Amino acid sequence: MNAVILDGSLENNKVPDTVRAALTDELAADGWTVDTMVLRDLNIAYCVGCFECWVKTPGMCRFNDDGREVARRFIQSDLVVFLTPVSFGGYSSALKRGLDRIICLISPFFKQVRGETHHRLRYNSYPRVLALGTMPEADPESERIFCRLVERNAINVHSPGHAADVFVDNEETAAVRHRMHAMLDRIGVVS
Amino acid sequence: MNTAKRVLLLVGSAKQQTSTSEAIGTCLLERLHPAGFETETLFTHKASRSDEAMAELIAAVARADLIVLAFPLYVDCLPYTVINALEHIRDSRRSTTNHKDQSLLCIVNCGFPEAHQNETALAICRQFARETGFTWSGGLALGAGGVIHGRPLREVGGAARNVMASLDVTADALIRSEQIPKRAVDLMARPLVWKWVYLWYGSRGWRRVAKRNGVLKALGSRPYQKLI
Ligand SMILES: Cc1cc2nc3c(=O)[nH]c(=O)nc-3n(C[C@H](O)[C@H](O)[C@H](O)COP(=O)(O)O)c2cc1C
Repeated sequence: MNAVILDGSLENNKVPDTVRAALTDELAADGWTVDTMVLRDLNIAYCVGCFECWVKTPGMCRFNDDGREVARRFIQSDLVVFLTPVSFGGYSSALKRGLDRIICLISPFFKQVRGETHHRLRYNSYPRVLALGTMPEADPESERIFCRLVERNAINVHSPGHAADVFVDNEETAAVRHRMHAMLDRIGVVS
Repeated sequence: MNTAKRVLLLVGSAKQQTSTSEAIGTCLLERLHPAGFETETLFTHKASRSDEAMAELIAAVARADLIVLAFPLYVDCLPYTVINALEHIRDSRRSTTNHKDQSLLCIVNCGFPEAHQNETALAICRQFARETGFTWSGGLALGAGGVIHGRPLREVGGAARNVMASLDVTADALIRSEQIPKRAVDLMARPLVWKWVYLWYGSRGWRRVAKRNGVLKALGSRPYQKLI
């Protein structure tokens, strides 16, 4: 089983090592192969909303850069982890730069999910999604928005399982590890 | 003394041709201009391209009394170029304290026909306002943005009737420096066209463009399929 970590740390706001280490240790202990993409160091053009990845080069973005690699790793992994400082309840710009490039993984055509419109699948299987946000101090409203956003994303990327949590930067290592394990366990990633 | 209020439209769509975000934002500016507002329009994607352009955007934000942020929904939230601009605005406001009273109005449009799919994006915008000290004027959500397809609203015809009515109500409130009323939100959220008609035309549209591009049969390609 393989996992890719999309690290959305910003130059002036990085994900704390406690969270990163708790995650990679848990996954390694369970035999996962883990790759990390530090998005801010990669060459990723921003999505220009042309939809060519649907109707001109189906399944692939017109920009030949690391954004294609983000999409490829995303769909070829069993687990995708969003590791991100929380920006106003949402993802950091660095993470979103990569995520805007994954719409090539779904079909332009529509289906209904609980009365709402969404896109159909392009691939047979999609990864589980784990989203780990970090913040300098606790803020319930930001956490609520973050968890809701991940829930919404999980529908659109046809994820078979997802979980989200927000960690405070100076949180005790033991507490971080405990919550990390519980979350990974809940979505069936570790046992 | 110049007492004219300044409104800055930030367009968060990176489309090369005119976007639905820009069309709606411009229509709102056209309603504010006659009431004495000075208007300016900037694009977040241009600001993302250079430090100078970002500095210009931040200076324009600092000058404005009212910011109108209009953007498309991307993966259930704000596009990268918009988050990037908001992070820069936040950082710039950390280093300066005494801000004048400034308000923020957000307009999100999405491709799916249900306007409520924009709710998380609007919650993020509101949280931005809270964290950075802007007064929240309100958020408008529109579904089926593809119906407008970047055309000036008056050219869209009957389908944009409620959008324009919403902008009338919105402009009235902004001119009085008030939060926009629920009526503006409700009018904007009304379906532009019947959902199934939109989806049918939408699917036909994708097929037509694909055919023109010679890839109709390849629409379901899986270039990243894992070889087992
Ligand atoms: C990268 C990307 C992601 C998108 N994600 C969503 C989405 O999650 N939900 C949705 O309803 N529409 C989504 N859309 C569709 C746009 O919101 C829609 O086409 C919108 O009308 C574009 O507005 P604009 O002309 O102002 O750019 C997405 C489009 C792109 C390019």
